[in-house]
Amino acid sequence: MHITALGTTLHITIPMAGVAGVIITTPQVLALESPRKLQSVKFSLLNNPWKRCTKFGWGRMYVHPVAATPEGISEKVAESVKKAEEACSENPVAGECAAAWDEVEELSAAASHARDKKKDSDPLEDYCKENPETDECRTYDN
Amino acid sequence: MAVSTVHTVQSLSSTCSISNPTKSHLGFNQKQLVFFKKTTTTTRRATTVITCSAGDTVVIGLAADSGCGKSTFMRRLTSVFGGAAEPPKGGNPDSNTLISDTTTVICLDDYHSLDRTGRKEKGVTALDPRANNFDLMYEQVKAIKSGVAVEKPIYNHVTGLIDPPELIKPPKIFVIEGLHPMYDARVRELLDFSIYLDISNEVKFAWKIQRDMAERGHSLESIKASIEARKPDFDAYIDPQKQYADAVIEVLPTELIPDDNEGKVLRVRLIMKEGVKYFNPVYLFDEGSTISWIPCGRKLTCSYPGIKFSYGPETYFGHEVSVLEMDGQFDRLDELIYIESHLSSISTKFYGEVTQQMLKHADFPGSNNGTGLFQTIVGLKIRDLYEQIVASKSGAPLEATKT
Repeated sequence: MHITALGTTLHITIPMAGVAGVIITTPQVLALESPRKLQSVKFSLLNNPWKRCTKFGWGRMYVHPVAATPEGISEKVAESVKKAEEACSENPVAGECAAAWDEVEELSAAASHARDKKKDSDPLEDYCKENPETDECRTYDN
Repeated sequence: MAVSTVHTVQSLSSTCSISNPTKSHLGFNQKQLVFFKKTTTTTRRATTVITCSAGDTVVIGLAADSGCGKSTFMRRLTSVFGGAAEPPKGGNPDSNTLISDTTTVICLDDYHSLDRTGRKEKGVTALDPRANNFDLMYEQVKAIKSGVAVEKPIYNHVTGLIDPPELIKPPKIFVIEGLHPMYDARVRELLDFSIYLDISNEVKFAWKIQRDMAERGHSLESIKASIEARKPDFDAYIDPQKQYADAVIEVLPTELIPDDNEGKVLRVRLIMKEGVKYFNPVYLFDEGSTISWIPCGRKLTCSYPGIKFSYGPETYFGHEVSVLEMDGQFDRLDELIYIESHLSSISTKFYGEVTQQMLKHADFPGSNNGTGLFQTIVGLKIRDLYEQIVASKSGAPLEATKT
């Protein structure tokens, strides 16, 4: 730290080496995370650098699956069973009871279809069906 | 050449649809006349596509309880016609539609007028006709049958909402599968062939247990309660459709094993209506007589519980029908080929076709018993029906030009 006094003004120069080390890492964070997440992410990533590796797969972007997974449908089925049991405990003959159990049936069927689809879906095959011209999907016949 | 001219003129006037191909990624899946016309006036980039199909779409109705489109029967049926049936590429991933080269299968749940919340509010199940828009169903099936493409709504089974529509182009074979294909009289008139899958209560319970016991939220009581709660609506609205069906596949518990309640061995009856145009029922040995046949014996050895066939004429809801029944299951390939060689009028194109189809899908449920066998046979019958209809339609304009 270097303090010089020139007349009435006071200049303080602080060596920037230590601070610079911190600043270098943050632009990476800025590039990959959205600005509003910056505050919470910056410090946790700095304090726990191992988390960065698992989250971004050693520097590459991790793509989360978008479609409804069986996990999501499973939740729905469990929820709908509970709701149906509630609805029917009040009045077992009413339309609401039948409609609630009908919903359970519909969701169970959807869950079973999702399970079947997942069972024989291969991510590479699915990707190549849509994009046969990409490098991973090229086939050679000689 | 004269014939083709007449034919084209006919189709141009009545069965063409003019569309701007914004959704052309769905692809052409049938052979058709396509005229590309560049509009030179205002919009330079717009091309108008006039697509005409010859109006020879055959419409098949399949009534089956809960769940559509991806079921085993549909996969077997589309496999008989060749090609794999897949959901439309690039469209809604939760679409219930299956498209192959010759066949398109749509799920009638797409014509729900009330979505899941709407039905809950009104206290109405999906089985209730009040939850379905039969007018739209009739209009769109009529349009497809006459060769016009339609924008069909999508019912998303996961979210329970009605999604934006998808384009359905008229295929050669159009299958409508769901709870109410034969409920509305107008739609019934449009069907060239109809099938009803009648699963008995014991078998249904056993199958649902197999399907749902792995789910976290379910227990034996909840599965039972679900079936019981839907039963009144099912019996009132869905079950009566079986009297209108041209073929009924009835699945019952076996009679070969006393007190079998696992539902593994099944007794399956194929009930075929007599007098249906282009449809010749399958028979054993002698048409119209009553036969009881146990193939296992000296020539063929079967493992427990064996196989038992019977065939005979009966009356079903006041109609004359022929019933072919199989009880038991196949163990080996040679059992299957032996049985196939003794069935008559199965509409195969070569010896062993039924066996080949069954083996192609040996991993499907029912591949070792009557459900798979009869589904495959019905598939072959539908192919035969389609070919007869096409032959008769192409024969007609030939007649017109001759005179």
